[in-house]
Amino acid sequence: MSKYIFANILGSFVFDEGFNLIDKGQVEDAENIAKRHTAVIPSDDEIKKILEFFKRKEFFAEFHKKNIELTKRQIRNSVSDDMLIIQAIGCIEDIDKAANTLIKRLREWYCLHNPEFSEKVSSNERFSELIIAKDRKELLKEISVPEESSMGAELGKGDVAQILLLAEHLKSLYILRKKQEEYIENIMKKVCPNLSIVAGHLIGAKLIEKAGGIKRLMEFPASTVQLLGAEKALFRHMRTGARAPKHGIIHKHPLISKSKRKEHGKIARALADKISIAVKIDYFKGEFIGDRLLLGLEERFSVK
Amino acid sequence: MISKSNTFEVYEESGKRRKSIFTKNLVPGKSVYGERLISQEGVEYREWNPDKSKICAAILKGCPDIKMRKGDTVLYLGAASGTTVSHVSDIVGESGFVFALDFAPRVVRDLVFLCETRENIAPMLEDANRPERYISRLSQADIIFQDIAQKSQVDIFLKNINLFLKKGGFAMLAVKSRSIDVTKNPREIFKRVREQLEKELIITDYRELEPFQKDHCLFICKKK
Repeated sequence: MSKYIFANILGSFVFDEGFNLIDKGQVEDAENIAKRHTAVIPSDDEIKKILEFFKRKEFFAEFHKKNIELTKRQIRNSVSDDMLIIQAIGCIEDIDKAANTLIKRLREWYCLHNPEFSEKVSSNERFSELIIAKDRKELLKEISVPEESSMGAELGKGDVAQILLLAEHLKSLYILRKKQEEYIENIMKKVCPNLSIVAGHLIGAKLIEKAGGIKRLMEFPASTVQLLGAEKALFRHMRTGARAPKHGIIHKHPLISKSKRKEHGKIARALADKISIAVKIDYFKGEFIGDRLLLGLEERFSVK
Repeated sequence: MISKSNTFEVYEESGKRRKSIFTKNLVPGKSVYGERLISQEGVEYREWNPDKSKICAAILKGCPDIKMRKGDTVLYLGAASGTTVSHVSDIVGESGFVFALDFAPRVVRDLVFLCETRENIAPMLEDANRPERYISRLSQADIIFQDIAQKSQVDIFLKNINLFLKKGGFAMLAVKSRSIDVTKNPREIFKRVREQLEKELIITDYRELEPFQKDHCLFICKKK
């Protein structure tokens, strides 16, 4: 007579040859139960019979409860540093989008009052700071435009205040962006030092976001890293035979953006290669060689 | 007027230009993903959206029987946030049970919230490609439904059927041709999947899900 022992999230169970239940206990009692019986571990076919035994209404409530508990624990434990990176870099992208929309509105609005100054200052960040700090008269003086020749209208105090209210919010949005960037830099240096040196911390974070985590980015071949963010062009290439994309997110890397167009493909390939190596080292917590990887690239494609 | 036209727990609204189908709400008063609720003679029904659910699309494309019955135990692979799962839970009712599995923590979080309102669903955060890891979390199933966008989805399907499906039980596979190979014609891929399935199973129904879901099809198979 052989007996089978089977443990699952409901507890430990012992079955006889006909797969009738003869003993059971809590998950914690597994050892005691194993001692009480000389039972064997079931084979695949026998496991199927045992699973059939559990398909009963009386077990469902317990399956429901135990699976929820376990899943909640799994979800809690699944939160890792790369998720923080993904959220922070996503936040920066959202801030950029929102700030761009709002600054366009601010400039349009402020131009009613003082178009010459808006025309002169191209940096959005400085623009929002300056119009808060100084009034129309002072600003016109700074760009030496006589007040009478300005196209801007004299607005009431309340009207100008409303424009400046938006400017205040934009200014704090730019400060927020800077803080998020610092945060990403810190966390990237801590979690993946090699990647953040070779790719730069923002591009590195974007790669992690696109891949969906450091582990997945690590598992990608270099060719996939090279084209991350260029999926649309890649699939168009595969479907219709259009020209293949050379690079995705990494095109913003100074090595590529500062080089000649003709070289882009070659550099993207080499850079993706080194990024791929860097992530693998970071994931397995290897030694720091990021600076050497980057130096090798810079020597090969010397930035003029 | 909502009436039942099938042997399974799916209801139809007649007298409309566009046919819409419903399931009986297991938790009256609660809408899961913003779907329309309709009460009739003291019973509440939830509208089933074919753009969000492949089973619903298959029914509207004329599938005569989705094989799920009241009281069935269902293994649902690729549950996501539980849109379709909630309707499956309606169909099997209080006497049935659904084991809902997905691999992404983000969507399982929503699934857990759903499970907390519905006693007949158990969430599992596991990889469908590794049945040995979740064998301790479920029982045998009468029906297996799989909707995962993986290249190896057919292998995963067969593996799970082998372990968890009862003899003579039915299994449904939703195939997304684009996740197998974007360059090939979907029909060609569906044909290849069919050949692979026919080696081990009997195919009882096949539906292409245009226009509700692009490049998708649904196979219903019986385990020998």
